[in-house]
Amino acid sequence: MKKLKVAILGSGNIGTDLLVKALRSPYLECTFFIGRNLLSPGMTKASGLGVRISSLGIEAIEKEPESCDLVFDATSAMDHKRHWQILDKLGKTVIDMTPSKIGRMCIPAINLEECLVDRHVNMVTCGGQASIPLAYLIGKTQGPVEYIEVVSSIASRSSGPATRLNIDEYVETTEEGLRFFSGCERAKTILIQNPAVPCVDMQTTVFVRIKSPDLEALAVEAERMVGKIKTYVPGYRLVAPPLVENGRLMIMIKVQGLGDYLPKYAGNLDIINCAAIAMAEGYARRFAEVSA
Amino acid sequence: MPSKVLISDPTLRDGNHAVKHQLTEKQIARYAAAAEAAGVPIVEVGHGNGLGASSLQVGESAVDDLTMLKAARRELLNSKLGIHVMPGFATINKDIKRAIEIGVDVFRIGAHCTEADITQRHIGFVRDKGKEVFGVLMMSHMVTKEILAEEASKMESYGAEGVVIMDSAGAYLPRDVGGRIAELVKRLQVPVGFHGHNNLGMAVANSLAAVEAGATIVDGTARGFGAGAGNTPLEVLVAVLEKMGYSTGINLYKMLDAADLAEKELMPSVPSIKSVSIVSGLAGVFSGFAKHVERISGEYGVDSRDLFFELGRRKVVAGQEDLILEAAMDLASQKKKAPAETS
Amino acid sequence: MKSSYVMDIIQEDCANASRQAELLEALRGETIFITGGTGFVGVWFCELVAHLNDQHGFGTQLLLLSGRAQSFSAKAPHLAMRKDVTLIERDVRSLLDIPKEASWIIHAAGSPDNRLAASDPLRVAQVITRGTETVLDAATRLPNLKKFLNISSGLVYGAQPLERERIPEGYSGGLDCASVSGIYAESKRFAETLCVAYRSQHRLPVVTARPFAFIGPYQLLDRPWAVNNFIRDGLLGGPIRILGDGQTVRSYMYPSDMVFWLLRILAAGIPGQSYNVGSPHGVTLQQLAEKVAACFPAPPKILSRLSPEQALHRSRFVPDVRLAEETLGLRLTVDLENALRRTILWNQAQNKLMRVEKAR
Repeated sequence: MKKLKVAILGSGNIGTDLLVKALRSPYLECTFFIGRNLLSPGMTKASGLGVRISSLGIEAIEKEPESCDLVFDATSAMDHKRHWQILDKLGKTVIDMTPSKIGRMCIPAINLEECLVDRHVNMVTCGGQASIPLAYLIGKTQGPVEYIEVVSSIASRSSGPATRLNIDEYVETTEEGLRFFSGCERAKTILIQNPAVPCVDMQTTVFVRIKSPDLEALAVEAERMVGKIKTYVPGYRLVAPPLVENGRLMIMIKVQGLGDYLPKYAGNLDIINCAAIAMAEGYARRFAEVSA
Repeated sequence: MPSKVLISDPTLRDGNHAVKHQLTEKQIARYAAAAEAAGVPIVEVGHGNGLGASSLQVGESAVDDLTMLKAARRELLNSKLGIHVMPGFATINKDIKRAIEIGVDVFRIGAHCTEADITQRHIGFVRDKGKEVFGVLMMSHMVTKEILAEEASKMESYGAEGVVIMDSAGAYLPRDVGGRIAELVKRLQVPVGFHGHNNLGMAVANSLAAVEAGATIVDGTARGFGAGAGNTPLEVLVAVLEKMGYSTGINLYKMLDAADLAEKELMPSVPSIKSVSIVSGLAGVFSGFAKHVERISGEYGVDSRDLFFELGRRKVVAGQEDLILEAAMDLASQKKKAPAETS
Repeated sequence: MKSSYVMDIIQEDCANASRQAELLEALRGETIFITGGTGFVGVWFCELVAHLNDQHGFGTQLLLLSGRAQSFSAKAPHLAMRKDVTLIERDVRSLLDIPKEASWIIHAAGSPDNRLAASDPLRVAQVITRGTETVLDAATRLPNLKKFLNISSGLVYGAQPLERERIPEGYSGGLDCASVSGIYAESKRFAETLCVAYRSQHRLPVVTARPFAFIGPYQLLDRPWAVNNFIRDGLLGGPIRILGDGQTVRSYMYPSDMVFWLLRILAAGIPGQSYNVGSPHGVTLQQLAEKVAACFPAPPKILSRLSPEQALHRSRFVPDVRLAEETLGLRLTVDLENALRRTILWNQAQNKLMRVEKAR
């Protein structure tokens, strides 16, 4: 099968980790790694791995539209709005890693196939990738849910300066994803940064207030969903089966990263990137089918 | 002229921890009126963890944020209405904008003691709106005075008009407080403050050490109303500061009345130093965890003291209440294993 | 389009500043390459050069390098669309070459925003040190470079001794290299040393300017500096709040004077020399707050939070500018009262404009 040509826009932690994952994929070929700052560690790493780099930003793709079919945008929500206008005109498929909320929200374990008809998907947030599949299950197995809440704690060192500055964007985008996929009107997200050394793994708890939970049904479904997520995020696991405590239905999960670019504690980086790679591979298969 | 100390009173905010965030509109109005009468400069109101924090994770409040703030707003004329805001719980769009509309005067933007940079947008936004804004560093015992001063400087650079360090776990002794406050006073241009908890019976002594080292903002609550062993009792603090020659602008008799009223109208019981509070202070665990630990250790049949030490070992921070359950489950399963191993 | 009133203020300022336009004769018909071209200083360069071109027939071309050219078009569309202004979007750290037609360079990249320095000190250090190196290096390959103006900072002197009324260029104070808050000043200091090395090794004609403090149009009032906050507090109806010690002394120059001075230093400054740029007239924060308050028809209240401990933080930041005045014929044309009044008028007009645009 012919590999899909992908470009990565943004040379920060997300972009660089995506690069390592894309290089490993049997379906993807990373043809372009694009940033703004030639001195950034990501650019150095890409060039060391023999990947073509550019410091021209989006202009690099405008100048050579044939260089790629799919673009991962790992810049910022503000920049993504402008990038999509340009990439849309060029007919590119775009996977948006920023919390811009403009493309179709994509959680591979839930809607990978449906998203393939769109050329513009948004990967929500790391907390969203971790929690939304479970929120979706709860919505499906427990009847109408009045209120859903997700708490994620991550290692301080796993989030870069831009993410930390824009913590509100993370919270609001995750909440929008939760509402959309669980069908629940009221959703709340909390993010805790934990500075402990050694760094803590990403942990996410989904809470629901519910009258008569069907724990057995949920446990079976949750195992199945975790299995599905594990196919693209190997470090994803349940801490304990779903349980009820103090009138709250809770599911706790932990995500350990693959340790590709940042160390293993950065499960938050891993989960959104693994999801994006799964999505890109989906597109690669689809393109292969169409051209076959 | 005696040195001035600015008192901020979070009775109606930190006290909410002690009653699982169940303070009512009427209780808030009653105490706010009493604090106003006493001339308390800043009255902090809200969920124990601040704006936008009512949740299954840390506990749902009986009354929503806006209703609580409005209830207090109506009673406050000369006293300023203050709130605590933790980025990660509250956002500018969802929460801060509405608080400004209601007429909150003082915003205290808090973060764990190493995470000051997450407060930049929030501090900047509040200052842009012309409101008063302070930075708050929570669980400040967890880092050295040098790191604390660096984090405080960040908040100052974002526009904070003062930085308050919190002894969120009640873990300090007076010499710890003095050293840290002196470092902050040396490094910052803006006023420095201290917020004490009483787990080791040190809240008033620590507050004095802070003032002696140069702090000009001090927090205290009526009868020490707060989680676990409670906070610095404000009526004692005011009396002691006056005796030492500091001026607070608070009328002592009326403050004593406000404390009596708080005891009668807000508290099922006056905070006291329970055995677990001592352990919690020694373990350096956030005092707001007390109610959760009490409940969960009962449910899982583990010793609450063991649970506190386990949480201290895991270096949990405020907001990580879900980890209490996980730690309790781990302790419970170890307990089950232990007899099998010895047999 | 900008409302005519907002523009009038700037036009008057430029007209006032360029009354001695003959001092900039060397730049007539030349091409100037400016890094950091879309920041506060860059925008003012554009305004003044545009004025010199329109009113004095200078025919000077500007090439503006910026990592965020988009934001410039939003901030100053009337400048972005001009034929004598060309925007080049590129991170200064990734600059490869400077257009060959450039014969004058102004290196102004690097944000003095101390919030950025607090949150991301490594970025601040890299933009200043590596950025300067990259620009200097590209400058060595220009066929016809006449002069390179490095815009440093008055902060390179470190703390000004309180007993010293003004800092002259020869003062070599001390910076605290053990404190992360010194990252901006230390980086600027190292950037100056790099300039010296390029001058020595490549004979690059580098002249240095050390700007102090400024207040005027285009400066964002959310910057956490005293005068900005006083004006913002005043615009919001007060009270004006003084943080820290009211006896701290600062001085402020108006930006049209600032860019005129900088262009004059570019045109006539002696390579190897450093020139202070700023106002030599010190003012305490207390006096400053009073002056700001007096600009409003209903003067807002002034609150200060003083404590005895804060006398420790009393500081002074006032340049001695006799070198620029005496050797380059420069002078201040806008005094502090006028500077404050015009800044407030401009912000009021700008806010009105934004409200109108929002209402549409």
